[in-house]
Amino acid sequence: MVAAKRTRDVVLTAIWGENPVFRQILGVCSALAVTNLVLNTMVMGAAVIFTTALSGLTVSLMRKYTPRIIRMMVEVLIIAFYVILFDQALKAYWPDMSRNLGPYVGLIITNCIIMGRAEAFANTNPPLLSFLDGLSSGIGYSLVLISVAVVRELLGMGSLLGVGMPFFSSSIWDRWIIMVMPPGAFFTLAVIVWIARTVQKDKERKDTKVKK
Amino acid sequence: MAIREKTWFPIVYMFVLTLVLSSVLIVFGMITRKRVKENEAIAFERAVLLSLSIDNAGKMTPGQIHQAYLSDIREADEKSAGALRYVRGDSIEGYSLPLEGPGFWARIKGVIGIEPDAMTIKGIAFYEQNETPGLGGEITKEQFRAQFVGKIISATGVPLRIIGPAEPLDESSVHAITGATQTSNRLARFINENLTRWRAKMTEQ
Repeated sequence: MVAAKRTRDVVLTAIWGENPVFRQILGVCSALAVTNLVLNTMVMGAAVIFTTALSGLTVSLMRKYTPRIIRMMVEVLIIAFYVILFDQALKAYWPDMSRNLGPYVGLIITNCIIMGRAEAFANTNPPLLSFLDGLSSGIGYSLVLISVAVVRELLGMGSLLGVGMPFFSSSIWDRWIIMVMPPGAFFTLAVIVWIARTVQKDKERKDTKVKK
Repeated sequence: MAIREKTWFPIVYMFVLTLVLSSVLIVFGMITRKRVKENEAIAFERAVLLSLSIDNAGKMTPGQIHQAYLSDIREADEKSAGALRYVRGDSIEGYSLPLEGPGFWARIKGVIGIEPDAMTIKGIAFYEQNETPGLGGEITKEQFRAQFVGKIISATGVPLRIIGPAEPLDESSVHAITGATQTSNRLARFINENLTRWRAKMTEQ
């Protein structure tokens, strides 16, 4: 019972309460770079989920043997290993997508979310829970990125997943070129963080009232 | 626990871990290397077929692309001035000239197809580019590429012009991509450099 509650807490905290992007403002660089097409963003999200989950698991499995003084080097090494694996698989089996994402898959190595989870969670928690924490953090990250991408692709190109949407792809809608360009990501991300935090604040206020 | 406190332990630990992880990556790299190479070759071959507006080139499977390429495309010779030759039977049906130059973010590589008259464009295609998806990246889309088909390489001055979407077109110009002025300008520059050089070599003969 306690274990189940702990598991649920880990998942919910990673996806919502401590969401890496809008609560901790981590991984924003890739949130800005790859979010103008929903499909590209989904693959990017999958790469991050793969890496956070498995690196969390691996770091946690090794946590009792890894000397403290080199633990960060070890973490980076493990993260890099999974990212290169994913990048290589993409190159071999989905070359078009690999070309679309360019250097950004490789740059996941430097994504602070993954290192952050390894340091803050996997280092001190059991393997399965660390895997789950990584998985949920990755999902939390992906959900925010996909929301940004939906707004950008819809307003900027009038389509979703490459399919023209009614109204937005017609001549009535003047496509917002800026949404496709990098600045569009800044505006969209800022608005999403704003909305998410407002919702959270309202909820926190209600919670404290109930307690009183 | 004692072993963890030894001075040499972190070094050995790191060394062993690196060895294990690198070995896995090297093996995986070896397994996929052939596929990656093939993917690159197919991307080029598909672009060549697209540039020659060969029927269905866009819908072919990698195997079909490779087949079609082997059967109809011949390497460049002196007479074609560096362009690949599209040969059916004994006659040359067209040329496919490789193009390369700087784009907005990274180098763009492509091919432009030309009729045997060395004047009329058969098509254009790109196999390597890293332009902004949705803007400069649109150069790979049918909508942009189709504009080139049937255009005439101007005998004097600039061979082909990429002009603003509001300007009227003539037989040697196509419309740029809205919002991707830089990509369009750079593309126009290196297409023309390559075409000018090729045209000069072809007329020498």
